[in-house]
Amino acid sequence: MNNLVTPVVSCVVGGVLAVATLMGVIANQTSAPEQSPGTIDSPEFSYGATIE
Amino acid sequence: MQDRTWGAAARWLPTCWALVLAVLMLGGALGRGFVLTYDMVWVPDLSLGLDALGLGTALPRAVPSDAVVAVLDEVVPGEVLQKLVLLGALVSAGSGAAALCGRGTVARLVAATVFVWNPFVVERLAIGHWPVLVGYGVLPWVLLAGATWRRTGWLPARLAVLLLVGSLSATTGLVTAVAVVAAAAERSRRRWVGLAVLVGAANAPWVASGLLHAGEATSSAVGADVFAPSSREGLLPAPLHFLTLGGVWNAESVPGSRTGVLAVGLTILLVLLAAVALRRGWSSVPVLLRTPLLVCWSVGMVLVVATWALPDATGRLAGTVPGGGLLRDGARMLALAAPLTAVLAGRGADAVVRVFPDTASRTMVALGCVLAPVALMPDAALGLSGRLAAVDYTASYEGAVEALATLPPGDVVLLPFQSYRAPSWNGGRPVLDPLGRYLGRHVVVEDQLVVDGETLAGEDPRAAEVRDGLAAPTPEARAEALRAAGVRLVVVEDVDRVEVPEVAGDTVGEYGELRVVDVGPGAAPPQPTGAWVTAMAVAWAAWASLLLVGMVRLRRARRSNFAQ
Repeated sequence: MNNLVTPVVSCVVGGVLAVATLMGVIANQTSAPEQSPGTIDSPEFSYGATIE
Repeated sequence: MQDRTWGAAARWLPTCWALVLAVLMLGGALGRGFVLTYDMVWVPDLSLGLDALGLGTALPRAVPSDAVVAVLDEVVPGEVLQKLVLLGALVSAGSGAAALCGRGTVARLVAATVFVWNPFVVERLAIGHWPVLVGYGVLPWVLLAGATWRRTGWLPARLAVLLLVGSLSATTGLVTAVAVVAAAAERSRRRWVGLAVLVGAANAPWVASGLLHAGEATSSAVGADVFAPSSREGLLPAPLHFLTLGGVWNAESVPGSRTGVLAVGLTILLVLLAAVALRRGWSSVPVLLRTPLLVCWSVGMVLVVATWALPDATGRLAGTVPGGGLLRDGARMLALAAPLTAVLAGRGADAVVRVFPDTASRTMVALGCVLAPVALMPDAALGLSGRLAAVDYTASYEGAVEALATLPPGDVVLLPFQSYRAPSWNGGRPVLDPLGRYLGRHVVVEDQLVVDGETLAGEDPRAAEVRDGLAAPTPEARAEALRAAGVRLVVVEDVDRVEVPEVAGDTVGEYGELRVVDVGPGAAPPQPTGAWVTAMAVAWAAWASLLLVGMVRLRRARRSNFAQ
């Protein structure tokens, strides 16, 4: 039984970590740039933008 | 012998792990140069001016942090000091969270990971709130020292120093005060007096300066709405994302991974671990820390939820009660919720690991729990994916400083008269105009902020005077208005696509994109009254006496330990 548990746990843990990391990297690389064309042309330097 | 060696290694393991996490998260921030992001502005040599001492006309937002940096960078170069501060805060945070957790290597490592690698730390790093992070770093140690005080009845020597380090700004001073009261309070008048003296002395500079500015210490009511904790982070609505310590108002400070399914994963993971911990791991949390952890979490969450749910009430408070603006960016109070969150994650992971029958499976699950927060927010690595890359100031800055040293005394105004810049040499990242701190002279800076294209009113009457002066119709009239406001020099920065009003005067130097204009002698800059100086001297004396007492007692305690 123990012989079965270890590889299953390893696969699950490793798989989850790998998928999560990959998704995070993809999300980060494909997210909108901090400065959009709209803000670049603005004469005011913005302190930020709220989420809505 | 082997057990003893492993015991020593296990004791240091969370600190080493916190160091690894801190280095991984800071990444390029630890390279050559300065990290400049939003409110985080460090310069080679910060001067100890009126504003740093709380005697300027602006609200004391950087009191006492700027004064502390101005003194310390006389010993350690500003560039190195910034890295030490950021690294030290994160390592202290991680090792402190591990110490809060009680026994068990897995629990301690998971607590360290959750306390360091979470949205609160990432978002505050991105927006540059370094005093908040320093306070966050000492928060677990304040809880531990407070609990020791309650257990032994003796004030631990380290608590005085921890309170000072944890009170480098107004908000973080409040957080630290809540933590120490939660940990050390008991039904004894003597204890409450002791707590009041300690907390009062640690926060004396900004409190005294805030009271002196009470006339203009109300903030824009609109700002309370803008700076309220965010009502949504990606897929997560508030207050669910508060549970994972996310909620900064500024969408530009939120890492990409928080806007997708990974944030949901982190929430589920932390909630599950907390549920397991409350059922099977709570008894392993040190008894004296249980109530303080719960109190801190409750106070933090109530304040965050209140400022999110009732922005109008917060706005009225900020707009009418001096100092009410402290609650504007309510998500900063999430720091109080972090210790319990990390401890529950640690204890929960420890309980889950024990379910598995064999060592190999336990090891795998433990590794999974320790690494999961990192995997669920991978873009926090390598300096928040490059957002914290250190940069060098341009040579023109140094040229302007050298020029100003030879010019007649007087205050300086920076044009464009705006709070923030996004210099190309800083990768276009927004930052509070660094020249204001770099020049080494008193600079009147714009304190209006632009958020979502809307201008939020400032509080500094001197900034308003300069703003009005620059709105005059002719260059000569602007120069006259600046002279009347006590301004002698104008540093004009050539910024792409931004027009600045011309001011009449002699151009006394050009250094790259900077041009220094002397508008001539005028009114003397306003100076603090004798009463203000006396009040602030008393406040700083109280602050310094706490530092002195803390250091002396710490030294005695160390000697005593060494003798034993």
